[in-house]
Amino acid sequence: MDFIDPYYLQQLAIGLSLGMTYALMAIGFTLIFGVLNVVNFAHGEIYTLGAFAGLVLITAAAPPIFAAIFAALAIGAFAGFSLERLAFKPFRRFTDEASLKSRAMRESTLLSSLAVSIIVREGLEIVFGSQMRSVPFEYLINTPVRVGPVILVTGDFIIFAVSAVMLIGLQYLLRRTRVGLSIRAVSNNPLGAKYVGIDTDRTIIMTFVVGSMMGAAAGILVGLYYGAIFPAMGFVPGIKAFVAMVMGGLSSIPGAVISALILGVAESMATTFVSSGWSDMVAYGFLILTLIFFPSGLFGAGRERV
Amino acid sequence: MNESRSPTRLIVPVLVLLMVFAALPAVLASFDRGYFYQIANLSLIFVLLAASLHLVTGVAGLLHLGHAAFYGVGAYTAALLATKAGLGFTFTLPLSGLVAALIAFLVALPTMRLVSIYFAVATLAIGQMLYLVMLNWVDFTKGPNGIIVTKGLNLFGFDLSGRLGTYYTVAAVVTLCVIAIGRLSHSYYGNALRSIREDDQCADAMGVRTVRLKMEVFTLSAFFAGVAGSLWAHMTGYISPGDFKFSESILILAMIVVGGLGSLPGAIIGALLLILLPEGLRGMGDFRNVMVGVVMFLSILFLPRGLLGEVSALKLVRQQLNAAWRRTDNGIGIGWR
Repeated sequence: MDFIDPYYLQQLAIGLSLGMTYALMAIGFTLIFGVLNVVNFAHGEIYTLGAFAGLVLITAAAPPIFAAIFAALAIGAFAGFSLERLAFKPFRRFTDEASLKSRAMRESTLLSSLAVSIIVREGLEIVFGSQMRSVPFEYLINTPVRVGPVILVTGDFIIFAVSAVMLIGLQYLLRRTRVGLSIRAVSNNPLGAKYVGIDTDRTIIMTFVVGSMMGAAAGILVGLYYGAIFPAMGFVPGIKAFVAMVMGGLSSIPGAVISALILGVAESMATTFVSSGWSDMVAYGFLILTLIFFPSGLFGAGRERV
Repeated sequence: MNESRSPTRLIVPVLVLLMVFAALPAVLASFDRGYFYQIANLSLIFVLLAASLHLVTGVAGLLHLGHAAFYGVGAYTAALLATKAGLGFTFTLPLSGLVAALIAFLVALPTMRLVSIYFAVATLAIGQMLYLVMLNWVDFTKGPNGIIVTKGLNLFGFDLSGRLGTYYTVAAVVTLCVIAIGRLSHSYYGNALRSIREDDQCADAMGVRTVRLKMEVFTLSAFFAGVAGSLWAHMTGYISPGDFKFSESILILAMIVVGGLGSLPGAIIGALLLILLPEGLRGMGDFRNVMVGVVMFLSILFLPRGLLGEVSALKLVRQQLNAAWRRTDNGIGIGWR
């Protein structure tokens, strides 16, 4: 391994664990885009809510770390459910195909989720203040571990393990269970799914719950990894996840995951070579390039013009 | 045609102009507190921003999520020209509009063929990229420290930097721009843009040059945003990247959504509401930012067409300003040519 500088390997590992958290976020986006064909702008706030749920539990009860993650998952599930009821359900007044795919419905849900995200973010600022809240020291997952030539922290492994477990669990859910089957059916053709007796409303809620749980888990993991939790923390990862979804071809979950990993690695490389301030530029650059040169995404199949 | 020029037709615009240029300054002068002038100027600037976004998102139906960045480009152009080249407001006002329009044009060249959500995402990315440039190009833009603009408002050698002078300058520029935007959006040109919004493939088939029109309207709206930016830079005397974040783009978008997409009077009402409501609720402290979200959410839920929807806005404009409308035989106006 002496032909590669260990420093770059280390950056690669950091990028991969960053990419994994983007992937967790991107899956939520992709699932919800898949079933409703709409963008959920409140997804970043789910991530923040997950982080705060974990933080509140940690400061109140000092539980083991996995309890904090479960708290985040529970809050994520609840937030996903309420989000769907509040910001998406009221705009699905009609169920015919034309109105499900109509621009009015897409834009009103986009704006309503945006409004909900403003309310949640500002609400959190009232409750917790806009300053960064630091995580108690013993919960930080950054104990260094030496692996060959590189030094990683425990957080890299935990993020990697939790993300991998959740991704595999999701694949199991989607491919092997009835709920997953109905999610795939609705995402394929909502009207057709309704005709064969699938409760589309329930399926859409399930999708929001599953997607939001993943987002919330990403929030608490990143919060513990960096040790800083604040109300506006969800915005940048939300955009990154969105970029990953577009790069992956909008409806492809494996594509979104691979794109998220590429994005994470590219960002950590950009931080190395340029500066951390410009690393966000990479994501936006990728987004524009993908949109122009690969309009259907790097991994997406041909998709109708939306 | 003469009956349409009757004086009753012009009541609303004359009243609005009287409000803006006589009643409001009188009220401001009687209170004589700098804070109220700031609020009045801020509302006027956001009226212009909302009106310019109305052109892209309301009339042409292109969801634009990076409008604040072009506002920022205008503000930075004005500030940098004023501090580095020593140019006065007379030159920075048009130049900042032109620079914003130029950047918008360059950006539009590759992205304007994207449709619907892809376009929205692209504008979001472009807005964020411009914001990152403002934030990180420290040598040029001074980064997060911002720029202090020492030159006040000064038009053709007249010093207008007093409180009333500033107000009148801002009000005059904003009024002129809003009238221009109004003429555009209620003309044949605006109708072509509306046809793109409704069905761009169909409009294309009918001979409307959709891509070119989209580029034109995107550039134009960036021009007006740039003008608003230079007003802001000279008015406050201090700009920093934080003024041009994504949340500002969303605020402007919320204004036109609350007011009614596609309706210029609605955009103006929405801008006034979302600037003045949080200020009026200052007593509620932190809750005022939540109120922006709540107002936006409730208006989408209960007033999907906005406070003053497009149809009623068009009717209003046609009734009140129809002096220049070409009438068909059955008495229905089509629009300015």
